[in-house]
Amino acid sequence: MWKYLLRRIFLQGIPVLLGFTVLLYFVITIAPGSPVSHLRGVPNIDGEVIAQREAQLGINESFPVQYFNWLRRVLQGDLGRSFDSSRRPVIDLIKERMPATILLSVSSIILGWGIGIPVGILSARYQYSFLDYIITFFAFVGISVPSFFFGLLLLYLFALKLNVLPAGGFFLAGEARTFMGYVRYLTLPALTLGLGTIASIARYMRSSLLEVISQDYLRTARAKGLKERVVIYKHALRNALIPILTLVGFMIPSIFSGAVIVENIFAWPGLGSLAIQAVNERNYPVMMGINLMFAVLIFVGSIIADLSYALVDPRIRYE
Amino acid sequence: MRKSMVLVLVLVLAFSFTAAGQQTPVQGGTFRYGITVNPRGMFNPILNTEVYDGYIIDQVFDGLIYIDSHLEPQPKLAKSWEISDDGLSITFYLHKGVKFHDGVELTAKDVEYTYLTILHPEYTGVRYGDFKVLVGAEDYKGGNALEVPGIEVIDDYTIKFSTAQPYAPLLVSFTYGILPSHLLAQTPVGELETLAFNLNPIGTGPFKFVEFLTDQHVILEANEEYFLGRPNIDTLVFQKVAEDAIPIYLQQKRVDFIGLSPEHVPQVSDIDFVDIYVYEALSYNYMAFNLRLDKFKDAAVRQAIAYGFDRETYVDVIREGFGIIANAPMPQASWAYSDEGINSYSYNPELAKKMLAEAGWTPGKDGVLTKDGMRLQFELLVPDGSRLTEQMALLFQQNMEDIGIEVDLMFMEFSAAVDRVDAREFDMFTMGWSLSVDPDPYAIWHSSVPWNDPGFYNDRSDELIELGRKETDQEKRKEIYAEWQQIINYELPYLFLNYGVTISAMNERVKGIDTEPGPLGPLAGGELLRSLWLAE
Repeated sequence: MWKYLLRRIFLQGIPVLLGFTVLLYFVITIAPGSPVSHLRGVPNIDGEVIAQREAQLGINESFPVQYFNWLRRVLQGDLGRSFDSSRRPVIDLIKERMPATILLSVSSIILGWGIGIPVGILSARYQYSFLDYIITFFAFVGISVPSFFFGLLLLYLFALKLNVLPAGGFFLAGEARTFMGYVRYLTLPALTLGLGTIASIARYMRSSLLEVISQDYLRTARAKGLKERVVIYKHALRNALIPILTLVGFMIPSIFSGAVIVENIFAWPGLGSLAIQAVNERNYPVMMGINLMFAVLIFVGSIIADLSYALVDPRIRYE
Repeated sequence: MRKSMVLVLVLVLAFSFTAAGQQTPVQGGTFRYGITVNPRGMFNPILNTEVYDGYIIDQVFDGLIYIDSHLEPQPKLAKSWEISDDGLSITFYLHKGVKFHDGVELTAKDVEYTYLTILHPEYTGVRYGDFKVLVGAEDYKGGNALEVPGIEVIDDYTIKFSTAQPYAPLLVSFTYGILPSHLLAQTPVGELETLAFNLNPIGTGPFKFVEFLTDQHVILEANEEYFLGRPNIDTLVFQKVAEDAIPIYLQQKRVDFIGLSPEHVPQVSDIDFVDIYVYEALSYNYMAFNLRLDKFKDAAVRQAIAYGFDRETYVDVIREGFGIIANAPMPQASWAYSDEGINSYSYNPELAKKMLAEAGWTPGKDGVLTKDGMRLQFELLVPDGSRLTEQMALLFQQNMEDIGIEVDLMFMEFSAAVDRVDAREFDMFTMGWSLSVDPDPYAIWHSSVPWNDPGFYNDRSDELIELGRKETDQEKRKEIYAEWQQIINYELPYLFLNYGVTISAMNERVKGIDTEPGPLGPLAGGELLRSLWLAE
């Protein structure tokens, strides 16, 4: 297994990541617009000042020179400095926002799995019942409704009309950071981000369990007189969960990219607003930094997915 | 709401019975200032470019002067100033005993350091243009001189700035916060932008910097030793708010003050303890013609397009009245505004058609006007992001079709649109300007500057612009700009859309504010934060 892991990382992961950064940097730099475009808002600015700024940022160089300068710094562990007026290190910008994004993503994963699995089980156990129809209908809606729409709907309902939860944002200055406080601020964004996960996990769970239920060994279990509860939860569920568990790894990327949108709706202090602002301003180092980090996360996610196969299914071994 | 729109329109002004004068200010409390954009964390008055960082800088630092709600310069760190008779120099006399937040006294050395840094060859900020007129500034910037004769420290509390020629816009530029030279002077100027100081600023201002949590808030606390008196409030918080959540934040009293966009107004006006203020801004929106193109060379064509565009509908319906139709580049909020001899180009499609016919344009087979084989057809570049602008563009397209002009709309992401404008690859585009306090139009309209996007050139216009910045008598300057506005109004290098208005909301518990605000709003551009107080 270690050999497999090393092979995945060095033969696959690193070349893929490298290729990804070349492509990304290329796409970012050929996009129209420039990191100094926003200086247009300053009427009194001098033409020479803009040229000087371009030189200071190194964007007067050609694409390969810019890319290799960037790569050289990254290999030394330096993601560079933001192109905006703050000139702060990209790593600081990411570090101070990362915890909020992780908090939101992990909460939505827990919510997605915690709700999705039981709902999927219910739906499968009572297949073709009224309950099943309701669940499959809502799962379908949950997958189809875009998160920004669902988010605004929740905001309208719970914050504006019922006034029971905060309208997005985070703790006010001076507000005590209690556990219940976190729950209050997290509920709506985590639910919004988790909706798709809940719905798709419920659907996967339903079909996976139904498939297992129709297996011969379950007929045997029933034939030898086991209670239905034991049949389902002890024999069927454990086997049905195998394909679901492996989904974790594959869902990480979509959770993180979804977080970017959801964070913007709820003014959640994570990476989302930074990412969108960076795109609008052509802030190359910030865009590269965030995307590189997501790429690494996605890569780690897919390794976890592979390994979890072996972990939950004894028939699979990595040599 | 035409041109007769009252200067300041206060929508809801629920006056309490006791007049403001009878109440004595209460000390204490936290004022929450809502912001919808996260500051970048560049709290350095000579390096920031973002407005939101500026809000914090204005409270932590003091300038030599500040601009009051009538846009007039007022003394701050400088207790007074003197302009020489020849108009070539300004001498500032500083208050004595002003302390930075670390206890060190501010002197003319700090002022000198701040302005010399702006002129330094390695300076990374964007303020150089404001001060390059100082004697010797260009040589110093170019690395050909080690000193700037135009900045002269007379003694610890007196500093003199001089120019080779009278330069009227100079005085109002001295608002930038003064930096503590004892903390910064040893750092090379090129590295200033990476200093930790920028995230933990130390100035002389009414508030001390406490904390910046990105995308959450900035906390400032009252400076007990402030030389103009301690602020009434204890804590000033700039609270980040999601655009969509603004009405809820006001309703739940999570912010005391925040800027609004027109779509929030109906919801916010339902909140009985919040007042809405509407006031003119120093800004305008426009559509620029590319005068390098033959089809736009004739002023009659541009004028006909102006007559043919129903800007009344644009302002009254699309903008729901939040704006004032503009016909020249000086907003009504500016002292340089003049309507003398200004044509209002009121919507008149018949006149537009007649003018085009007289200019030699005749309808072609498809109904589009043609002249000498040239079709009157062009592309309007619309940077996306604003619903109002998009609707405006659609209305324009429709109106133009009615008078025989074909307009293709090109919606484009902002940075990409700027690229096209800079490369002069446009027929027409629409954008807006936010102007500084001084009305000097040089940076946008002089034929020599890069921001003159239409490629407008007019001898008399250049001459007047040059005259205007040399004239230090405001009345005479106003006359110069009045004539200049008539030229622009006739030539129409831009089709002017509207002067901007700003809308903001304030909780009633906040006292000591400007309830009939000028262009800087009820907080007078933040200046009142150090004196306002909270009732309750």
